[in-house]
Amino acid sequence: MSSPAPVALTHLQAFLLFAAVISIAFGFLGRRQPRDRIKYILWSFFVFLLVGIGIAWAMYPFSH
Amino acid sequence: MSQENNETPLLDPPAPGADTSLLGDSHPVPSETRAWSVAIAGWLIPGLGHALQRMWGRAAVVFLTVGLLVVLGAAMRGNLFTSHGSDAFDTLGYVADLGAGSFYFLARAVERTGADVSHAGGDYGTRFLATAGVLNLLAALHAYEAARGRKA
Repeated sequence: MSSPAPVALTHLQAFLLFAAVISIAFGFLGRRQPRDRIKYILWSFFVFLLVGIGIAWAMYPFSH
Repeated sequence: MSQENNETPLLDPPAPGADTSLLGDSHPVPSETRAWSVAIAGWLIPGLGHALQRMWGRAAVVFLTVGLLVVLGAAMRGNLFTSHGSDAFDTLGYVADLGAGSFYFLARAVERTGADVSHAGGDYGTRFLATAGVLNLLAALHAYEAARGRKA
């Protein structure tokens, strides 16, 4: 029997963490000014959530 | 913010047609060799490509985000692909994982018990590891462009 993973995240937790980390990286690489970075990070995070949840609902009918 | 002043590339490109022969060593002209060196350094150690150009904020963020994704991916027992893949997807996964540079080998050391993708967590971990590699490649490309004096 295999040992459990040291870190166990739910789908939602992994999704939120992924979106946050990638948004921060994109914000810092894509923008120079702090204000622009914050706006870009928030926008990117929002779009990640929107697209992720949208795709999840689009797939929902096929799971039944 | 004062930090923002440090976020500019170390080497500004000379104006088109400018005579750069008298600039001397204190104002080195961006060279392709230096840009490649920066890119390779950034690939080997995430963030180093930006740190060499005194882009401290970007260097720290790249180091921390790539590092976090690698550690989490390994801790979730994601699949770290090797060069002995059996199909094209394994090879693609290996290229993506290897994009994390030295952190790829760190992940191999952290993931002592091997991958376990029989659970969803392991599958998410695989994605985290691949994303870390691709993100680091993107950062290395960004550092390369900055070293060439392009807008970054």
